[in-house]
Amino acid sequence: MAKETPQEKSTNQILIEQLMQNVGKISTIIEKEGQSIFGHKNLLSNNEINDYSLEFLELLTMLLHAGEKVDRRGAEFKALRQFFANFSQQIQVRGGNMDEFVRYVHFLQRVFLENLEADKSVSFEKTREILMLLGVIFNDIILDVFHIYLEGKEKTILAQQEELRQTSTPITEIWDGVLTLPIIGSLDSSRTMIVMEKLLQRIESDRARVVVIDVTGVMAIDSQVSHHLIQMIRATGLMGATAILTGIRPEIARALTSLNIDLSSVTTRSKLSEGLKEAFRQLHIEVSRPVK
Amino acid sequence: MAEGIHLTPIGDGNVLLEPGEGLDPSDPDALVAPVLEFLQNNQAQRLVYDLKTVRLIDAVYYTWLTKLSATCRIANVEMVTVNMQPAAAYALSLTLDKPTPFTCALDIHSLR
Repeated sequence: MAKETPQEKSTNQILIEQLMQNVGKISTIIEKEGQSIFGHKNLLSNNEINDYSLEFLELLTMLLHAGEKVDRRGAEFKALRQFFANFSQQIQVRGGNMDEFVRYVHFLQRVFLENLEADKSVSFEKTREILMLLGVIFNDIILDVFHIYLEGKEKTILAQQEELRQTSTPITEIWDGVLTLPIIGSLDSSRTMIVMEKLLQRIESDRARVVVIDVTGVMAIDSQVSHHLIQMIRATGLMGATAILTGIRPEIARALTSLNIDLSSVTTRSKLSEGLKEAFRQLHIEVSRPVK
Repeated sequence: MAEGIHLTPIGDGNVLLEPGEGLDPSDPDALVAPVLEFLQNNQAQRLVYDLKTVRLIDAVYYTWLTKLSATCRIANVEMVTVNMQPAAAYALSLTLDKPTPFTCALDIHSLR
């Protein structure tokens, strides 16, 4: 009679058994580490840490039960990745950083490896396979977390850039038919496009007759910036409004001269207040002090 | 009158030109003569070209405007464009390297 050889356990089975036998111990270790990483900054409450630990173990068990090999496209793996995505987003929203989260994910992986070390019945071959399996799972999770973190950062940078664009070109109607446009910083092609678009729309909507462009905040000027300024003045003229350029500092004037930029057709004034006076003059507006 | 051109005397020597759908700016020579005839018959001093419906002023359209303006100047009529759209002004400003030969005004009410 042939002797039955016991069928070798798969890597998934070994991990599931380990989880089942040591679930209490593993979850306690994970919760403790979670509290030390996320608790001290009040990123998560104890209850949240415990819930996350249990949910993670549950989702991992489901993934290991799903098949002999981890299916990266399977619903179970997607659920686990989604869990970590939500988890990391919550940490990010609450002011945590990526280092803390990656440290936590590495720790989860280490817990399983330490358990595996303690189990002397697992062969070297199987240990290697389990190591590779855990590597696949946790590397994908860390990559997801990294992408989420980068996306978050990119969104923040874009939002800040947009806010900066909005605040750096405040077009204000300071009098009926008079707009002011203070330009701060430098004028590149993309910014010129945005400023011009906003300015021309405001001329149309406010029925503006005069636009005072103040360049006091322009630190340096080159041929490209001056070309953009002239373009802006020309577009204003095409709309039927007059542009007055103010705040040309001596160094800017010197740079314009050395660049051979002809501003003879442009009305210029030294200060914004002088520009405003010129606008009033063009609109036949007289401002006088009330007689006491 | 040429197709796509609608001319209306609006008083004080002003004539309003409203371009319509059928206007073909690629043949300005055929269009300027009837416009000038109308201006002279009405003793116009100023031609007000309404650009409200013109979404884009490309090189062809700009050539038509400059030819019309040059013809008006010969007949001692000033040409003024009004209601240029922001997008058209923006696109035109990118291609221009010198001031326009005609005057631009915000709208008819802003003409003096």
